[in-house]
Amino acid sequence: MTTSRSILSVLTIISAVVFLGMTIDTLRKLPAQTHSDQISAQVVEGKRLWQHYDCNDCHTILGIGGYYAPDVTKSYTVRGDAWLRQFLKDPAAMYPTGRQMPNFHLTDAQVAPLLAYLKWVSEVDTNGWPPAPKGVARQEPAGHAIFLAQHCNTCHAIQGSGGTLAPDLTHEGSRHDQAWILDQLNDPRSHKADSIMPSFAQLPGTEKDELAEYLVSLK
Amino acid sequence: MRYQSQKLAREYFWAALPLFFLQVVFGILASIKYVWGFDPLLNSIPFNVARTIHLNLLVFWLLLALMGATYYMVADEIQTEIYSIRLARIQLGILLASGVAAILGYFFQWSFGMPFLEQPTLIKVVIVVGALIFLYNIAMTMFRNHHQLTGTTATLLGGMVMLAVMFLFGIPFMPNLSTQYYFWWWVIHLWVEGAWELIAAALVAWALIKLTGVSRRRVEGWVFAEVVLVLLTGIIGTGHHYYWIGTPHYWLWWGAIFSAAEPLPIMLMLVDAVRSLLKARTLATVNTMALAWLGASAFVHFMGAGVWGFGQTLPQINRWTHGTQITASHGHFAFWGAYGMLAIALMYAILPEISGRKQRNGAEGLSFSAFVCLNLSMIFMVMALLIAGIVQVYLQRVMGLDFLEVQNQLRLWLAVRLVAGGVFTVGAVLLLGDLYRLARPLPAAGSA
Ligand code: HEC
Ligand code: HEC
Ligand code: HEM
Ligand code: HEM
Ligand SMILES: [Fe+2]
Repeated sequence: MTTSRSILSVLTIISAVVFLGMTIDTLRKLPAQTHSDQISAQVVEGKRLWQHYDCNDCHTILGIGGYYAPDVTKSYTVRGDAWLRQFLKDPAAMYPTGRQMPNFHLTDAQVAPLLAYLKWVSEVDTNGWPPAPKGVARQEPAGHAIFLAQHCNTCHAIQGSGGTLAPDLTHEGSRHDQAWILDQLNDPRSHKADSIMPSFAQLPGTEKDELAEYLVSLK
Repeated sequence: MRYQSQKLAREYFWAALPLFFLQVVFGILASIKYVWGFDPLLNSIPFNVARTIHLNLLVFWLLLALMGATYYMVADEIQTEIYSIRLARIQLGILLASGVAAILGYFFQWSFGMPFLEQPTLIKVVIVVGALIFLYNIAMTMFRNHHQLTGTTATLLGGMVMLAVMFLFGIPFMPNLSTQYYFWWWVIHLWVEGAWELIAAALVAWALIKLTGVSRRRVEGWVFAEVVLVLLTGIIGTGHHYYWIGTPHYWLWWGAIFSAAEPLPIMLMLVDAVRSLLKARTLATVNTMALAWLGASAFVHFMGAGVWGFGQTLPQINRWTHGTQITASHGHFAFWGAYGMLAIALMYAILPEISGRKQRNGAEGLSFSAFVCLNLSMIFMVMALLIAGIVQVYLQRVMGLDFLEVQNQLRLWLAVRLVAGGVFTVGAVLLLGDLYRLARPLPAAGSA
């Protein structure tokens, strides 16, 4: 009885020592795996803001936190800089209906560090998490991927999938030409003074072209 | 009850119970937002604030209840008055004040911003002071009559010290999020799968000895095995949270192997409890409700932590389920079974001793309704979250649909959770009423 007790106790102490050893090893390897040389003062400021606004109790990051809002680990890669910049300054403009993120009235001086932080997180080596989906790898035109990535579908539908707040774009190609659509993207108010569609002027030119080409192809 | 200072337990329970009720209210508030797309409170009590308060109150009322029970149990085991009633009251005051300040602060974006550990640093420091007073008071009580020190009380003190030490790792701001989460888990995981398990094992052992008449020698032998196995599996088992946060790949092996063994000590606790409860049938008078809650707690602890935890602990599964409603299902089931139900069991065990009221005085209906209401609705909540989680994993992680689109598909199950939460709230009110009835001093004073 007492010997088995001693053996168990010793094993437990060994396990604690092993855990501390692994902690030291992990802390040694962490800088390379998380690109800690990329953690600039701006990234740290972004993390500070992320904590200040308690974003983590709605969102998960690295899969930890509240389950109410999308995981932001890869947001920077999936949504891109331009979209995020606009979204963070006025979430409701991009998502007028459904579940909402509060408008924190972030200034440009706050959005920039937050984006730097999200960019840094997106580059952390997470041992392959989140996994790539296995489902429906449908062959989609590149423009459609941008359409989804920019969340045009929160307002517009194409072939029955998407929002109802804005015109259905299933036959957009038979209504407008490419130049008109580019104008619409750059400045929706050039066509309708009180348009609620956000401007996508900041998108890279190639993405705007691809998007417009795709919409024109929808006859 | 033999010592006047044991009445401290009642003061701690009184503080804990309204906080439990408030916790549930904020849980309801948060879960309404899942069901109703439009959120009128978006700018006053947004989801993150409701969740923060729900989590803080959860940890807070559980700790107050366990500390209150500890004061009662230590006096009973060591056979002496508590070292200082005054200090115990100061401690309660400090903790309550810091808790209230933290919760008011959350409405004004005064937050540290890490889940569960949202308390601003200043408040964390005050909480540490409160914890130190507690540890000092308990340690001094033990020294008063140290040859009475039992294995159970030593385990309890050990758990409480570990709890305080781990909390320290949640205080600093770390520039690297991966490092920050590495040590965040030293608080969250090494609490619920380490320190709190020790505290629970000790308090359960004491309650079983008191309530069922099993021999101390036997129960304490079990406690030793449970505690050692909890630590042996649980410390390196922390690795099941180090799969995907920017930490080395070897954690997938270490975390999986050790955490897969974590249900073992929890199963021992269940077997231990069942054997003792069977023994209680031979007693002439029994505290039925205390035993019912204790037994049910052992079972739900095993299901929620052991089975639900095991179900998602292997990296091949966790890769898909990580950070979904499945996690929420497990969090609720485990916390409720292991610690919520235990805290309630201890109140049922201790309050009648303090008030001198016997269990059987014609209000068993109320006790029974509260028991059924709370536990049945919790099972519905946890099942609804599990189904929602499985649908979410399939649509979002496997099929690759957008997060918000998937959330729309989950609405039905989150509505079931909300309704079950409503029933749970009714149960909480019944429980408060029943415990109040039990805790009131007898009209004819002088019962000791
Ligand atoms: C009250 C909950 C809540 C809080 C707090 C919150 N968000 Fe959000 N966030 C959302 C929701 C919901 C969405 C989904 C889009 C929408 O409906 O607006 C979202 C979307 C996002 C996205 C886009 C994610 C993607 O990949 O599509 C980013 C990035 C983001 N939020 C960043 C932040 C940051 C940074 C903070 C803190 C300053 C924050 N959020 C605080 C609820 C919240
Ligand atoms: C916040 C909602 C919203 C978002 C997001 C949005 N739009 Fe629009 N869009 C509108 C509305 C509303 C109109 C109707 C005209 C107006 O009010 O400007 C419109 C009009 C259009 C039109 C002209 C349709 C027609 O035939 O009259 C095109 C093309 C278009 N949007 C493309 C896009 C693309 C591409 C995106 C994503 C990059 C996008 N929209 C994102 C709201 C939105
Ligand atoms: C009416 C009853 C309750 C309701 C409606 C409710 C609702 C909620 C909601 C909406 C969340 C946020 C989850 C998310 O981020 O999406 C949450 C989190 C949580 N709740 Fe509750 N809750 C209730 C009761 C309880 C009880 C009694 C306990 C424990 C004893 C508890 C423990 C927790 C825990 C541990 C979390 C964090 C889960 C995680 O991070 O995985 N809740 N609850
Ligand atoms: C009483 C004991 C336990 C309690 C109170 C508990 C509670 C919790 C909570 C609240 C979380 C969510 C943390 C967050 O916010 O991210 C969690 C996560 C987790 N728990 Fe437990 N747990 C217990 C025991 C266990 C056991 C024994 C196992 C394994 C066998 C386990 C496996 C896990 C895993 C794998 C996760 C991560 C889920 C994810 O990846 O999202 N838990 N637990
Ligand atoms: Fe854990």
